[in-house]
Amino acid sequence: MNIFTNKPRIDLSAVVDFDTDGALQETEATARRHSRRNFLRTSGVAVGGAVVAGGLLPGASALAASTPKGDVAILNFALTLEYLESAFYASAIKHAHLTGEVKRFAHTVHAHEAAHVAALKKALGSAAVKRPTFDFGSAVTSQSAFQATAIVLEDTGVQAYQGQTPFIKSNAIFMAAISIHPVEARHAAWIRNLSGQSPAPAAFNPALTKDQVLAAVTGTGFIK
Amino acid sequence: MTDELSVVEFDGDEAVAEAVAGLHEARSTRAGLFKGAGIAAAGAGAIAAFLPGTAGARQGGSKKNDVKILNFALTLEYLEAAFYAEALAVGGYSGSVLNFAQVVAGHEATHVATLQGVLGSAAVKKPSFDFKGTTRKWHSFLRTSKVLEDTGVAAYQGQAPLIHQNAVLEPAGAILAVEARHAAWVRDLLYAGKSVKPAPESFSTPMSMSQVLSAVKKTGFIKS
Repeated sequence: MNIFTNKPRIDLSAVVDFDTDGALQETEATARRHSRRNFLRTSGVAVGGAVVAGGLLPGASALAASTPKGDVAILNFALTLEYLESAFYASAIKHAHLTGEVKRFAHTVHAHEAAHVAALKKALGSAAVKRPTFDFGSAVTSQSAFQATAIVLEDTGVQAYQGQTPFIKSNAIFMAAISIHPVEARHAAWIRNLSGQSPAPAAFNPALTKDQVLAAVTGTGFIK
Repeated sequence: MTDELSVVEFDGDEAVAEAVAGLHEARSTRAGLFKGAGIAAAGAGAIAAFLPGTAGARQGGSKKNDVKILNFALTLEYLEAAFYAEALAVGGYSGSVLNFAQVVAGHEATHVATLQGVLGSAAVKKPSFDFKGTTRKWHSFLRTSKVLEDTGVAAYQGQAPLIHQNAVLEPAGAILAVEARHAAWVRDLLYAGKSVKPAPESFSTPMSMSQVLSAVKKTGFIKS
């Protein structure tokens, strides 16, 4: 069954096709012009749970003045996607009459996306973009439409983080992004399995450029 | 992570650490690293990203250390690929478990072929394995798979910030997402008890190379 025959208000199927190895290569070609300047400035890269808190949430103060502008833009790009996802799940929980494991999926993932929003906002401080207004229309009025849309949003989220990580110059921000990237992949696989679609459609996950992601998001009409 | 590793029967074996200890001596020249002959044999998708001309340098780390990281990844992929191959050979699974084993076996074999192709003559040899009967019953197969996949995610996440070349980081990110999809998938297959969540945390927790090697060693799966 092709889930997209449910006609969600979005049509990202072309963008999230898993045979687009070209996307990976294209992103790579761009990325090699942008090596991180302050990469591994700190000699010892701590590994463990503390990294996330220490990296993404540098205390009460927001971004260091030295944070590269490109990194701020990437964080705001990620924040926009997380706003979108978080609002989508909140709306679906209210309106989509979810049941069973799909309902548990929505609650779990909503909590994750809200945590991502909170962490990114805190990291950005006054540089954070404002939360847009959303209209999810019929995508949140039934469980089947919800599932179809969630697959697209999560697959896009994975591809977006994957496309941006090579551009990140600040190590702390890189560590945070690389801790969110696999979580979005887990979400995508989970909802795909619940929907009878392959949770892992290819041996290498494709990446999307920022422009590709923004075009796809704009195409949904979800952002007012 | 530590708790979850305990589902596998532990017994000591120095083999992994030894296998990887030799990596420090691995060849690190670009000519050796990107040996043409091997690349032809590997999976098509990520190869372009590995090609010599695209090796953008990142600050921090080194090409030599990238070889070490790639061989570390190859060791984990050897382990996973052999595990799924044995499961398919002896498991007698059906339905969703068989589908999972078949798809993931294909992915891990592709990862192995790709990494071998990139490393060429610098690639570590495939160890011999003893999975201690964990592949014989579907439930122990899934529980062990969960540990291996969760560990794979944590391993790639832990190494990503240490990678010197964007040409290596990009495919590593592509594999990271796929391992996370596998992990969520197998967790969903185990979900019946509701105690195993496909996406257990908002931010994924990395493991260092030594943490991963220690965990793998304790499984006793690697004989030599």
